[in-house]
Amino acid sequence: MARSPLTQPNPTNHGPWTADTQMADHTHAPAGEDDLHEHHAPGGLMKYLAVFGALLVLTAISFAVGNSQSLRENSPQVMWAMMMAVSCAKALLVIMFFMHLMWEANWKYVLTIPASMMSIFLLLMLVPDIGRRTQKYAEERWLHAAEPQAAHHDHAPAAGHKGDTHGHEPGKPAAPADGH
Amino acid sequence: MTDHAHADHGHGHVKLEYQPSIPIGNGKLCLWLFLSTEIMFFAGLIATYIVLRFGVPANTWPLPHDVHLVESIGAFNTFVLICSSVSIVLALEASRQNQPGLAKGWMIITFVLGAVFLGVKAYEYKEKFAHGIYPRRPRSLIHEKADIYYVQAVRTELKARFDKMLPHEQEYQARVKELEGKADLSTGEQAELDHLKRELLYRPLFVSLAQWTELKAAKEDDPIKRRQAMEMLADAIYPLHHTLRDQEQYIALLEEEARQLPTSIQEVSSQQASLQGDSDKLKAELAMLIEKSTQLSTQRGKLQEQKDKLKPIEAKPAATSALPRGESFVSLQPAEAQPSPAEQKLIDEIAAIDAQIADLAQQQKDRGVAAGQLDEQIAALKARHEALQGRLDLLPLLKEAEQVGQPHHGLNDFLHGIMLPMRIPSGNMWASTYFLMTGFHAIHVLVGLIAFVLILFYTLDVKKAHVIENIGLYWHFVDLVWIFLFPLLYLF
Repeated sequence: MARSPLTQPNPTNHGPWTADTQMADHTHAPAGEDDLHEHHAPGGLMKYLAVFGALLVLTAISFAVGNSQSLRENSPQVMWAMMMAVSCAKALLVIMFFMHLMWEANWKYVLTIPASMMSIFLLLMLVPDIGRRTQKYAEERWLHAAEPQAAHHDHAPAAGHKGDTHGHEPGKPAAPADGH
Repeated sequence: MTDHAHADHGHGHVKLEYQPSIPIGNGKLCLWLFLSTEIMFFAGLIATYIVLRFGVPANTWPLPHDVHLVESIGAFNTFVLICSSVSIVLALEASRQNQPGLAKGWMIITFVLGAVFLGVKAYEYKEKFAHGIYPRRPRSLIHEKADIYYVQAVRTELKARFDKMLPHEQEYQARVKELEGKADLSTGEQAELDHLKRELLYRPLFVSLAQWTELKAAKEDDPIKRRQAMEMLADAIYPLHHTLRDQEQYIALLEEEARQLPTSIQEVSSQQASLQGDSDKLKAELAMLIEKSTQLSTQRGKLQEQKDKLKPIEAKPAATSALPRGESFVSLQPAEAQPSPAEQKLIDEIAAIDAQIADLAQQQKDRGVAAGQLDEQIAALKARHEALQGRLDLLPLLKEAEQVGQPHHGLNDFLHGIMLPMRIPSGNMWASTYFLMTGFHAIHVLVGLIAFVLILFYTLDVKKAHVIENIGLYWHFVDLVWIFLFPLLYLF
C-alpha cells in the first residue's frame, strides 16, 4: 500500500505535534504515562516548591535592585536591565513549570512564539518614539511641559529671557529633550 | 520511493488517515489562543507605558514615594500572587490524583490569596485618591512644574477658602481663645479647636504663602529668585524630596529666609520710623501754621472793627459785611471819598495781614500735600512690614509641615482636609498609566476569582482536572503580567 511518509501510522508518533505526549483525549489522565523521553512526571511537589523558592529569591533580587539608591543614581539603565532580566527569568519559570509548557508537545511553539514575536515587534516599533518624543515638542508645548524640580543647592538653570512675562519657561527644548 | 511516486499519480486508492491537529483538548486550545491574544494585549499596554515613561522630558517621571506608592506593598502583592500560583498548581495535582477534598482546599486558598491581592490593591488605590493622585484635567490638581499658572491655581484655591472664612474670623478667634483658656477639653471641643485653628490658617496661607509668592514671581527682577520663590511654594505644599539631604537643604532654605526676614523687617521699621519722624515734624509745622493764621485772622478782625468804628456813617454795610474777606479789601479800594490817614493806615495793615494769611494758606497747602505723600509711603511701609512679619510667622509652620525624616509631608498632608494644587512633574501621565495598567490587571484578577468561586460548586475529582488546568493557566498568566508590572510600576 502506498503511503506518504506524513501519513504513515506510527504507534508512538502521531505527526509533528505529538512529539512526546499523550493524545488529546487523555489529557486529564495522570501525566507522564508514556515517558517516551527521560522526562519525569510533570510537576511534583518538590519541583513546585523549588520554583516557588526561586521566584521568591528573584523577587527579592529585583526589589533590592530597584531600591538601590546608588544604582538609581549612577547607572539606572543597568538597574532597569537587571529588573527586566529578573522578570523574564520569573516569567520563564512560571511558564515552564506552573503552566506545564516544559512538558507539553511541540504545539506550544505555534502559540507562544508568534505571540511573543509580535509583542516584541510591537515594543521595538514603539521604542524609537521614546527618543524622538520630546524632540518634536512645539514651543507652546514646552510652555506647559513637565520640568524637573530645581535642586535646592544649585540654582536651577533659569532659562527665562529678561523681560519675559513667564520668567522661567525653558527657553529651548534643548536641555530636557534627551530620552535616556 | 517507487511506491510513493505511484501514489502521487493519484489512482484513488490512497487511504489517508485522520490526523488530530493538536493533541490537547478544545478547551485548553481555546484558552491558549485566548492567552496568546492576552500576551499581545498586555504587551501593547506595557510598550505604551514604556514609551510614555521614558518619553517624558528628562528626569520628570515621579519616583514611587512622590506619588504615595509603597514598593514593599507591591512586593507583598507579588508574594501573594506567587503563593496563589503554587496553590492552584497544587490544586491541579490533587485533582489529577483524584483527591477532591485536597483540591478544593487548595482552590479555596488560591481564592483567598487572590482576594488578598485585590484588597491590597484597593487599599493602594484609596491611598492615591486620598492624596489627590488620579488623572485629572491638566493644571487642575497636578501641575507639571512650579510656574506662574501653578502659583495662580494655589492662590485661587486658598482665596476661595479665605473668603469663606473671613466673615467669621473674629468669631473664630474669640472661640479659639475661649477654648484654649479651658483646662481640659472634651474630644468634641478639641476637634472644634483643631478645626477653627485650621480655618484661621487660611489667612496666613493666603496672604503670606500664595500672595507673597505671586508678588515675588511678578515683581522680582532676578529670574532665578522668581523661580526659587515658586519652587518654594511647590515644596511647601507637596515636597518631592527624595533623600534626607534634600529635606535638610529645604529646611536650610527656610531657616535662611527666617534669618534674613528680621533684617528686612528692621530696615523697614527704621525707614518707617524716620519717615514717621518727618511726618510728625511736618504735622507740627502744619499745626503751627494753622495757629499762626488763626492769630492773624483774629488780629485782622480787630483791625476791621477799628476801621468800622472810624467811619460808622459812611460804611456800606451791605457791601462790606456780605463780601468775603479778600474781596472786601478790593471793594473798599475804589471808595469815592479819599479815606482819612488813620483809616488808610488800618486799610494798609489789613492788606498786609491778608497777604500774610494768603502766604500761610499756600504753605499749609504745600505741607499738607507733603504730609499726605509721607503718609502714603508710611502706609506702604506698614503693609510691607506686616507682609514680612506674616511671612516670618508662617515659616515655622512650613518647617513643621516638612517633618524631616518622614516620607509623607508637606502642607497637603500636614493640614488634613486641605488639598492644594500639587507640583508633580509628569504626575498626570503617571496616574493615567498606573491606573490603566493595574486596573486592567485587577479586572483579570477579578475574573479569576469569579472562576474560582464557580468551580468550587463542583467535586474537584479527576474529571474536573482539565477545568482546573484551564483556570490555572489563566491564573498563571495573571501572575505573569504582574511579574512585569511590579518592577515597571513600582521599581523603575
